[in-house]
Amino acid sequence: MSARGAAWLLLGVLVAAAIVIAASQGGEATPSERARDLAAEIQCPECDGVSVEQSLAPTSRAIRADLRRRIAAGQSDDQIRQAYAERYGEAILLRPEGSGLGVLVWGLPVVLVIAGAGALVLASRRRRHEPLLHATDADEALVENIRGDRGTRERAE
Amino acid sequence: MKHPTRVIALAVAVIVLAFAVVLATQIGADPSADSKASALVGDRVPEFSVQTLDGDTVTHADLAGRAVIVNFWNSWCIPCHQELPALKRFYEAHAGETDFLMLGIVRDDTEDAVRDYVEAEGLEWVIGLDPGSEATLAFGTRGQPETFAVTPDGHVVAFQFGPATESILGRMLGEARR
Repeated sequence: MSARGAAWLLLGVLVAAAIVIAASQGGEATPSERARDLAAEIQCPECDGVSVEQSLAPTSRAIRADLRRRIAAGQSDDQIRQAYAERYGEAILLRPEGSGLGVLVWGLPVVLVIAGAGALVLASRRRRHEPLLHATDADEALVENIRGDRGTRERAE
Repeated sequence: MKHPTRVIALAVAVIVLAFAVVLATQIGADPSADSKASALVGDRVPEFSVQTLDGDTVTHADLAGRAVIVNFWNSWCIPCHQELPALKRFYEAHAGETDFLMLGIVRDDTEDAVRDYVEAEGLEWVIGLDPGSEATLAFGTRGQPETFAVTPDGHVVAFQFGPATESILGRMLGEARR
């Protein structure tokens, strides 16, 4: 591996380590924090594109109270999400679905960015290793002629 | 690989094309279809408990053995007012049937307002109050009026989003009895 390659690898490892450390420092959320986070993930059933956390609609108030009840009853966040998805359908969850079109919509841009970055890296490497212009047969013949002429002159001298 | 850049470009083009095809097939779908349907249809009726205006308690267990129409409504909702004449005619036509029950569950309203409205309109079917919205959420309602048909063995078989007509209610009752 070249020195440049090793530097990129080291940078990648450092970034990955930083992400892991940042993610692991979240700590345990309090019940009210969990309720607030879940309310932000659930769409107000009576409104368009507004979360339960943002909405003042009666159903949203009821859902916020229901979230607190469910958390107090010991339900996990996934169980609560699942319960709402079963009652209202997957569309009630504002987070992307883990399957189907949701994966495509959220995953495709990431795939395209990675593919684009890969294509840029490959293109730049090829450009670095390959000459910009290739010699044609006529160019080769011209060079041979010049070399032949120079050799003849040197021998004459 | 002779031309990796071209291969990647081709792969990206294929992905984008596939994405476009998937999106194109979604164009015909009604984006509000989910909000007009109920995920409850086909499932067992959810557990609930409401207090009636007479002071009794009605739970999901009390529905067993009867074809039930559950109507979510309240006194201030204009579409509910529009639906009321159909509900009255429908109830009068079926009130004498022993296997029939109609339950109105009040959604987001005060007890006094509901009592006044029920008395003024002469509503005779069972009216349940849901001050904590537990039944409202258990049925996954999004507003009012919304109507569910429940079979005698406790399955939700039909759902109406918005005002129901007499013929819609008749069809829903038929599905509950089938």
